[in-house]
Amino acid sequence: MIIRSFLARFFSTLVTLFGVAVVVFVLVRIAPGNPIAMMLPPGATEEDVARLRALYGFDKTLIEQFFVWLGNVIYGDFGTSITMRLPVSELVLQRLPATLELSIMALVIALVLGGSLAVFGARFRGRAQEVGVDISTGAALSVPDFLWGLLLILAFGVAWPVLHISGRVDPHMDVDLTTNFYFFEGLLLGDFALVSSVLSHMLMPALALGLPLAAMIAQLLKQSLKEQLDQDYVNLARVRGHGETHVILSEALRNAALPTLTLIGVQFAFLIGGTVIVERLFAYEGLGNMAIDAVINRDLPLIQGIVLLFAVLFIAINLTVDLTYSLLNPKLRHD
Amino acid sequence: MTQNVFTLEISGLNVSSHSGTRVLDNISLQVEPGEVRALVGESGAGKSMIGRAVLGTLPPILDKSSGHIILNGKDLSLLSERKRREWVAHNAALIPQDPLSALNPVRRVGAQIITPLVRIHSWSKREAEDRCLSLLDQVKIRDPKRVLKSYPHELSGGMRQRILIAAAFANRPPLIVADEPTTALDVTVQKEILKIVRLLQEDTGTAVLFVTHDMGVVAQVSQTLTVLFGGRVLEDSKTHDVFTRDASHPYTQALIRSTPDYHSAGGKFVPVPDNVIATLHAQMRERLS
Ligand SMILES: Nc1ncnc2c1ncn2[C@@H]1O[C@H](COP(=O)(O)OP(=O)(O)OP(=O)(O)O)[C@@H](O)[C@H]1O
Ligand SMILES: [Mg+2]
Repeated sequence: MIIRSFLARFFSTLVTLFGVAVVVFVLVRIAPGNPIAMMLPPGATEEDVARLRALYGFDKTLIEQFFVWLGNVIYGDFGTSITMRLPVSELVLQRLPATLELSIMALVIALVLGGSLAVFGARFRGRAQEVGVDISTGAALSVPDFLWGLLLILAFGVAWPVLHISGRVDPHMDVDLTTNFYFFEGLLLGDFALVSSVLSHMLMPALALGLPLAAMIAQLLKQSLKEQLDQDYVNLARVRGHGETHVILSEALRNAALPTLTLIGVQFAFLIGGTVIVERLFAYEGLGNMAIDAVINRDLPLIQGIVLLFAVLFIAINLTVDLTYSLLNPKLRHD
Repeated sequence: MTQNVFTLEISGLNVSSHSGTRVLDNISLQVEPGEVRALVGESGAGKSMIGRAVLGTLPPILDKSSGHIILNGKDLSLLSERKRREWVAHNAALIPQDPLSALNPVRRVGAQIITPLVRIHSWSKREAEDRCLSLLDQVKIRDPKRVLKSYPHELSGGMRQRILIAAAFANRPPLIVADEPTTALDVTVQKEILKIVRLLQEDTGTAVLFVTHDMGVVAQVSQTLTVLFGGRVLEDSKTHDVFTRDASHPYTQALIRSTPDYHSAGGKFVPVPDNVIATLHAQMRERLS
């Protein structure tokens, strides 16, 4: 049973990826703009253009180009970036850790903040505190991530400049790590100067990305908590002497988390999409920022590589959500 | 501790919401040690609210209450919130109405019924487990070891209710509130469950406040009964007297006659007459205005 559902999952993942590959490939080719023309200095001859086109395979038909590209991708060769003249896989993997760290930080902020607000609101349901939670989450939701970014820059970059508004780490700091996970590796090595520098750069973009999600989590989780708190099993826990906060945290929360988890899965994928603009805003050296440059320069191989990687991320998130869901819900564990 | 004759003594209990709706109005009743007192009345009469007031699980919007609830010798209204919770946990237990929602779906049954014994009553894990196993056996659950390791969704409604009953009796509390413990189950299971409650009750000598709207159940399980209407006590008497004499309140008589079991010999079912209800509603309106 488990093997069959795993296989079904695996094949549907492959189909999804193939679909994404086709769409990306076609979209990128029909978009206006000529990458070759942008690469050559003014006054280049017809032969120069033809030579370059052949070099990047643009002289073949679309279908041929697609299968050549796909064949290479299967062997891990995503082609060479037109603007940076480096293998796409190298460029992309070099940037991926920055975006992953940013997204994970944003997710942690959303979970902690949204979760606490939900518990707080449910604990004081029907009272002024709950109204406070409703109003603040409603307000947080109506502000999109990039606007949060601007507001944060005004607050903590200009009015009270305690955080860095651009980059990923202090440029004077010499970073000597084996991976590009500055935050996680710094943490592991106990390099707190590095970690705090990374944090002071990452906090604002992470907040910008995480605040709307925090508000969403707070609203949905609070609602499901309130539903759970009317259930008999919660009453039984109260009769057994547990206070309201304990009852919420150790009885109701896990049940209430299930519907919220589905939301988080979908919204986290959106959040990663949001890194494109937010990274740009904060000149944060991640994938999203690179994606914008790639689009501006019509760097087709790079765009394809980035989008494909985003697709893989989305699929990984969905898989993680499904796994967590069945871990939390015993009803799904055996069948 | 003062020696008190009653396990539960409620006097002048009022409960209302902050908008002023009164759900319980000057309720007084007593339950002696080992006594089963039935609480009857139509839907919305306030039966469950009495139990919830005693156990401290009133819904948050019903936040105004006055009067005294003396549980096993201590006046709950004089205790701090924390002390009250502890006292209730030690001296009372609940058998809920709906067994399907009364077990936490994401936790194993064993953890849910053994942990409270260890935590509240400081039993050893071993002791608590043995007690639960023997109780599950007593409530006729086959393979209790496996059941303790199960999740609620793996068990039938009847089994879950038997587990909840066993859990309520586990530490032999002086008082158990049973809120319509058979209403959510089908008729054949109901009989079983009633038998089990009576068996355990006689075995442990626990006093029970038994909420029901079924006079047939009242006749089977209780020694005394309190009839409620619109949040007020209409009648308070011995169950035996109510079923044998004609002196009780017309509403109570009507309730008895409306029980399918009662006239099963004559095969005649008589609903509560409209004029009785009308009189009561008129009285209630008068009271409220
Ligand atoms: N959560 C709640 N909030 C506010 N009022 C409530 C709530 N639950 C019940 N009430 C009110 O309290 C009154 C008594 O309700 P209660 O649940 O005690 O009735 P009951 O006698 O147990 O009826 P039933 O047989 O339907 O269980 C009802 O009039 C009802 O409207
Ligand atoms: Mg009720």
